[in-house]
Amino acid sequence: MLSKVTSCPALSLLSSCSLSWLPGLILLFYLVFYGFLAALFSFTMWVMLQTLNDEVPKYRDQIPSPGLMVFPKPVTALEYTFSVSDPRSYEGYIKDLKNFLKSYSLEEQKNLTNCTDGVLFVQKGPDYAACQFPNFLLEACSGTDDPHFGYSQGQPCVLVKMNRIIGLKPEGSPRIDCISKDENTAIVSMYPNRGIIDLKYFPYYGKKRHVGYLQPLVAVQVSFASNSTKKEVTVECKIEGSKNLRNEDDRDKFLGRVAFKITARA
Amino acid sequence: MEHGGKRGKVSPHDRHAGPRPERQPNLRNTEKMEVKGKKKKKDIDELKKEVVMDDHKLTLEELSTKYSVSLTQGHSPEKAKEILIRDGHNTLTPPKTTPEWIKFCKQLFTGFSLLLWIGSILCFVAYSIQVYFHEKTAKDNLYLGIVLAVVVGITGCFSYYQEAKSSKIMESFKNMVPQQALVIRGGKKMQIDVQDVVVGDLVEVKAGDRIPADLRLISAQGCKVDNSSLTGESEPQSRSPDFTHENPLETKNICFFSTNCVEGTARGVVIATGDYTVMGRIASLASGLKTGKTPIGVEIEHFIHLITGVAVFLGVTFFVLSLVLGYGWLEAVIFLIGIIVANVPEGLLATVTVCLTLTAKRMARKNCLVKNLEAVETLGSTSTICSDKTGTLTQNRMTVAHLWFDGTVHNADTSEEYTVQSQRRQEKRETTGDASESALLKFVEQSFSSVKEMREKNPKVAEIPFNSTNKYQLSIHCSEDSSQGHMLLMKGAPERILEFCSTFLLHGQEFPMDDEMKNAFQDAYSELGGLGERVLGFCFLKLPSSFPAGFPFNTDEINFPMSNLCFVGLISMIDPPRAAVPSAVSKCRSAGIKVIMVTGDHPITAKAIAKGVGIISEGTETAEDISARLGIPVSQVNPRSAKAIVVHGLELKDMNSEQLKEILQNHTEIVFARTSPQQKLIIVEGCQKLGAIVAVTGDGVNDSPALKKADIGIAMGITGSDVSKQAADMILLDDNFASIVTGVEEGRLIFDNLKKSIAYTLTSNIPEITPFLLFIILGIPLPLGTITILCIDLGTDMIPAISLAYETPESDIMQRHPRNPKTDNLVNHRLIGMAYGQIGMIQAVAGFFTYFVVMAENGFKPLDLLGIRLNWDNHFLNNLEDSYGQQWTYEQRKVVEFTCQTAFFVSIVVVQWADLLICKTRRNSFFTQGMKNKILIFGLLEETLLAIFLSYTPGMDIALRMYPLR
Repeated sequence: MLSKVTSCPALSLLSSCSLSWLPGLILLFYLVFYGFLAALFSFTMWVMLQTLNDEVPKYRDQIPSPGLMVFPKPVTALEYTFSVSDPRSYEGYIKDLKNFLKSYSLEEQKNLTNCTDGVLFVQKGPDYAACQFPNFLLEACSGTDDPHFGYSQGQPCVLVKMNRIIGLKPEGSPRIDCISKDENTAIVSMYPNRGIIDLKYFPYYGKKRHVGYLQPLVAVQVSFASNSTKKEVTVECKIEGSKNLRNEDDRDKFLGRVAFKITARA
Repeated sequence: MEHGGKRGKVSPHDRHAGPRPERQPNLRNTEKMEVKGKKKKKDIDELKKEVVMDDHKLTLEELSTKYSVSLTQGHSPEKAKEILIRDGHNTLTPPKTTPEWIKFCKQLFTGFSLLLWIGSILCFVAYSIQVYFHEKTAKDNLYLGIVLAVVVGITGCFSYYQEAKSSKIMESFKNMVPQQALVIRGGKKMQIDVQDVVVGDLVEVKAGDRIPADLRLISAQGCKVDNSSLTGESEPQSRSPDFTHENPLETKNICFFSTNCVEGTARGVVIATGDYTVMGRIASLASGLKTGKTPIGVEIEHFIHLITGVAVFLGVTFFVLSLVLGYGWLEAVIFLIGIIVANVPEGLLATVTVCLTLTAKRMARKNCLVKNLEAVETLGSTSTICSDKTGTLTQNRMTVAHLWFDGTVHNADTSEEYTVQSQRRQEKRETTGDASESALLKFVEQSFSSVKEMREKNPKVAEIPFNSTNKYQLSIHCSEDSSQGHMLLMKGAPERILEFCSTFLLHGQEFPMDDEMKNAFQDAYSELGGLGERVLGFCFLKLPSSFPAGFPFNTDEINFPMSNLCFVGLISMIDPPRAAVPSAVSKCRSAGIKVIMVTGDHPITAKAIAKGVGIISEGTETAEDISARLGIPVSQVNPRSAKAIVVHGLELKDMNSEQLKEILQNHTEIVFARTSPQQKLIIVEGCQKLGAIVAVTGDGVNDSPALKKADIGIAMGITGSDVSKQAADMILLDDNFASIVTGVEEGRLIFDNLKKSIAYTLTSNIPEITPFLLFIILGIPLPLGTITILCIDLGTDMIPAISLAYETPESDIMQRHPRNPKTDNLVNHRLIGMAYGQIGMIQAVAGFFTYFVVMAENGFKPLDLLGIRLNWDNHFLNNLEDSYGQQWTYEQRKVVEFTCQTAFFVSIVVVQWADLLICKTRRNSFFTQGMKNKILIFGLLEETLLAIFLSYTPGMDIALRMYPLR
């Protein structure tokens, strides 16, 4: 800025010196200045991106333990509301489930490895294989026998997933345990049996390396007691059976646990 | 001493009529004073007019009739009581003091605070909107609103406390001693409190008394009064019952309330009490004047306009943008408020207040007490100083300045240490009397030997005291050794003294008087007189032995010789300038400040002092000087060639504002003499109309209206009158005019440094706002949250910004011209441009880079972040996928977000290091200025340590949501 002002030959005679070029010059200065800043920013960003590993993020300590999430995702919060008699009220859920489970169909998994049950599937690379998760493991909730995933009978299926975390090796034998808050209203069944999550799906090696990786799923089917008038229940799911998968965190209500509500109207 | 004194009682009819009905027309029509100020504006205009009264023209009979009082018996006590009840006490109405809570509210709700309050209220509005429409909302806006309110509250309390402290010192000045007055009521003399004196009372005053009310004298014996606080005349004025001048201020038969009687006794009729006195009118004129905003107040207002402009512009732009981008109305409104509030520099109010306080304290240490915090800077922008002469530029102490004997002029020491010292010695002896006499006494005491001893050795046997017809004083003393007989000594007006002489003393020997000697005498006399000094001649005669010891000298029927005396020499006296004044004036000059003398004293004295202190500098001439030099009449002198001018109050009276403007514009060295308080006010207003920022210095009551009207009024702490101190904004505790130079220097420095502080503080506004803007446009997770912004504004930025107030001046700020208040603003577009457009942008880029690095290293690559905002901030979406296929719960990714914000915060702290060094200098290079500012280094360290503390202390993740960085 200053250099421009002084570039006027007679500073003391500023009034006599035409200033018409000044706004233009200031504009030019800012253009050049911001251009330079933008270039500098882009360059440093580019350098930074070069230092990144494409396969594994530099730091993984912000997600030491996975969260739990349900599928399909309800429209509002975590409350499933549908009416048994009105197919349109659960149409969306069924569509989401079908789409999601497409990749779990047997045909899709032909190329995947049939891994050994009960042990971690540690791989050295450079190619990483994904284990099969045949959808029949979900039994009644697989969608093969009942294309409506139980919604039409008032026994809706909800999938519970454990978040993917690169390199996570669960200890013990992890399973997802869901309980109904009100046993009188509804009972909960889990598929695969007892909600077991097989260790062979771990560790996960990341989107880039672990192509075709299938996340292990646990299906929860809520069956309302026929005699109960109130068809509304809260289900709580937690990861159990593994020391390094936390499920009690004061602040994070979704770390290793999830709670959702199902309301089935007639 | 006139016939009136013998006048009998007034007729009962007159008594019943009472003085009031007669006095009212006098008040209303001649003094034109509205008692109950309903139309205040008009009132002030009336007060600005010259004093008009006719009491001094009345004969004593008329006087007696007018006030229906006996000039021998006075009022009866009952009547006095009646009048007292009707007129009220004889006291000045104290200036309306604003209640403390209003002062407090003023601190809370003016200028900058208002901006913060608006910000705070907007925050609450935004929060209520959010709460109303969403159940679960971040409380950020609520917190921000509270913090803003708390900041204003605390700062308000702080500055209120500061000013309260100053005013407490002020109160200690108030003289609480109740004064007594001697009145004659019902023919009896009685001592009463001054406040009980009523109109028409007969009052007796004697030397040492303070005049209890405005008096019309009916008799006087050698009475002299010191009117300096009212008119600025440093010499005591003699008083007699004679009507001598049309102007009530000049006539000899009026004594004014609260002036002092220094000699003799007098008796007079009270013609006005309390607020109706001349002094009271001036005081109420002063307290009735409205003062404008301080220059710094104006600057801050300008700054607020700029900031508000930027805020509203950004807010509206992004409001429209967010609507275009498809956000809902409600969200857009929240964004609008958010952006506007984000533009408010939260910490700046506190920073400015603390900076001003620091300077105020520094000035107080240098004996400048500042009553109003904002006035700290005013001296720095001052372009004109109107200074009173008596007591401000001069010592208000008659002192021997020159002696002329043996054919040469000798200088006497008039320096302040000298006069103060002799004053002290004199005080010990407790002599009072005529200023000239005491000046001589001091001089002799100091230069030769103890006067007391001399008097003991040479006892006085006869004396003819001075009077205005004789114009000499004569005394006859016994000689030291009694054999020598008697010695006759005489002093007085030089020309009178010379008439008595036939010989003169040269180098101890007597020579007969010749023309050469007489010419030399004339030259010396006019030279000394031209210096504005009061000249006395001295002569003596050794009385022949025909007058032995014990000879009965008779001074009424003179029985001793009074001719053929021997002329000794001349002594001239002046109220000398204070020692520090000439250098201070020249410093002001070189700092581009015009110094104008405005005095009530006579033009010759005023000009002499002005020349002595450099207000009229060597080599510059007035039109009169030029005419004298060239021998042409004054009217032929080109007024443009005369840089200096001495304006008489009478000339000023007939001038219109255009002519005054012309004088002020065309002359660089101006002296106004014989000015009334009202004229002083007009002069100040004239300067202000020319766009100058005017400082007025003064000590007398006559200065107080001008002091009040000035942008900054400076009163003298020791010699100043209470009224002047009340009207002033600043008080020089040591009466040292040179402190004004300090004030100018400090004022300019604080202006420069405030610029630096503001530039520094404003810069970080950009890296604080841009995150929010990009959050809206690019849909990235919020890179910098409210709490972190507050941590910067009220935490890390604070001390470094304040430390800039300790910055030493760059180059010589006293060589610069005063700033032009119209163009040279505290915050101008250039400063905003540099802070926002350049450094701020660099800082923002740095911050964003940090942000993207932290995000990327935790798995969220920059490109994947764009538009992620809705999912990112969805509480129920707990499997948000990052660039590597990992899935994050809401809390997990929020931790990352807050880590990013901490990183952004730290990067701002780091770039603020550099910014601090950038803002440290404005003209000089950093290397010229150096790193001598220890507070600044401390500020840097504190900033860093605080950032580390905030980031790494365990528990901060819960308290402030700040996370440790790697």
